[in-house]
Amino acid sequence: MTHYGMAIDLKRCVACHGCTLACKSANNLPDGVRYNNVLTDGGQYMDTARGTYPNDLYRKYYPVSCQHCENPACVKVCPVGATYKDPETGVVRQDSDKCIGCRMCISACPYTGVRSFNWEEPKYSLDFPVGDYDAPQHVKHTVEKCRFCYQRLAKGQTPACMEVCGAMARHWGDLDDPDSEISQLIATREWEQLLPEMGTKPSVYYLI
Amino acid sequence: MVENAKRSRGLVIAGAIGAVLAVIGIVFWMMQLSGGMVQTGMRNLDSWGLYITMFMFFVGLSAGGLIISSIPNAFGMEGFGGISKVAIWTSICCTVAAIGFVVVDLGQPVRLWELFAYSNLGSPLMWDIIVLAVYLILSIVYLVFYMRYEQGKTSHAAIRVISVIALVCAVLVHSVTAWIFGLQQGHEFWYTALLGPWFVSSALVCGTALVMALCIGLRAAGYLALDQAYIVKMAKMLAAFIAVDLYFFGCDLLTSAFPGGSGAEVVDMLVSGPLAPFFWFEVIGCVIALVVCVVPALRRNGLLVGASVLAILGILCKRVQLLVGGFQIPNIPFANVEGPYAITFGGNGVDAAYGQLVYAPAPIEWVVTLGVLGLAVALLCFGLAYLNLKPASSAQA
Repeated sequence: MTHYGMAIDLKRCVACHGCTLACKSANNLPDGVRYNNVLTDGGQYMDTARGTYPNDLYRKYYPVSCQHCENPACVKVCPVGATYKDPETGVVRQDSDKCIGCRMCISACPYTGVRSFNWEEPKYSLDFPVGDYDAPQHVKHTVEKCRFCYQRLAKGQTPACMEVCGAMARHWGDLDDPDSEISQLIATREWEQLLPEMGTKPSVYYLI
Repeated sequence: MVENAKRSRGLVIAGAIGAVLAVIGIVFWMMQLSGGMVQTGMRNLDSWGLYITMFMFFVGLSAGGLIISSIPNAFGMEGFGGISKVAIWTSICCTVAAIGFVVVDLGQPVRLWELFAYSNLGSPLMWDIIVLAVYLILSIVYLVFYMRYEQGKTSHAAIRVISVIALVCAVLVHSVTAWIFGLQQGHEFWYTALLGPWFVSSALVCGTALVMALCIGLRAAGYLALDQAYIVKMAKMLAAFIAVDLYFFGCDLLTSAFPGGSGAEVVDMLVSGPLAPFFWFEVIGCVIALVVCVVPALRRNGLLVGASVLAILGILCKRVQLLVGGFQIPNIPFANVEGPYAITFGGNGVDAAYGQLVYAPAPIEWVVTLGVLGLAVALLCFGLAYLNLKPASSAQA
């Protein structure tokens, strides 16, 4: 069986936000909606540092989107099965035609801010759709999130955020295949995961 | 007869005002659906608000009311002077309001049918929908049977059986509501095994308080005659329930604070943080209500009604603490690109956004909430006016 996962090299990420934009474009995301966020682990605002110079000043970036957990909290609580785990690939998918807009999944997901609700009729800066022709539909009053670009996986491509990463910080592959690049990286590099104590078993690894 | 007609005219007018509010609420709900929920105060990082707070609160009122009326019947104890029918009707009205609050919170209410077509029976929300529906039907059956019993058409045994089932269901409905929150490991404040029993104790506090205030009010208005001994009995019960509820709160705070880890943040948020006004109102209000209920000299009708109101508002404050508190501490508190849908009060950095209450209701939420309350008031008043809810003379003894 395939279990897709991602490893993001935090030593390489320069916080260019290219992944966020590639994601927005490939998935034709409405204004104000982002599946991927490059978070600043530092000060109060984006790109600010925490601590004092020269003692403990630091700044670090975490590109965060859906963690495609093996034990997803969102899937358990969705009353109608609109968010579900794909048995073939391990990807946590989202069905915008089914979602009733109760927002139980947003509340259940421990990863603050990876899920977003379309709080109004989706608006677009451009008056034509962009990205993949089969990009997901965006429906008012339903919940959305990263689907690991499922439309691209189906065509044998990798997620859009992978394609543009200038620093080549992102790695993608089958976690179930011990010979895949990602499995090798996880076996050899030091890594961490977000909120492992929540027991969700995320499929995204951060190489440190 | 003339007296009676005048009294029910008062009820009908109050009911009509409720109905008008309900209609206004529906108009604003339609505006919320067409213009988008962006008009509410809710955002991605505080994705539930006033509606779900009121949902919790009304499930509690309803369960509490039903438990109060069914305990004496279930265990064959001496009851509260035939107020059962009023209590059951009150809890039916509260259940309808609770269901109303969930419906107005949904983004896609026209897809409600999917709950029955694609039910994910593993979801606590699904459990709650099933238990609420069963509970509503059961309450109506209970009321009908009680009326038939008073007319001598049903045996006492049947009433006992139904009231035992209703009692179990009332406890269950509130536990399941607690589990919607309490089973989410992502929210430190919610994730505690105590939440179920605690919701039941809070339900008993506000349910008893509501029934007691209603009985004193209806008696003063001449709707029903009730011996003061029954009111005193209810006051003593209310005192016991408040004590248990405060004890649970104390247990939870101690367990959170003692290790000094992230749980201490929760305690700070309640005791001295953004939620402190709601915390202290609840604690002080409940203590005052407790004192009024236990000191015999203070058990005067006016003060008892005041104590009931304090207890009910105290539990409402607790609901606000629970709901907003769940979103008040982010798991990943890192700075992000600002956006219009992220959080209610953004723009001044991470600590500023979370240093204040993360959520406040927008005007449209208040109006829709008033509408749902209007619906409950209309049902309550029309029911009191047109259904035969007064104690039968035999049950008064």
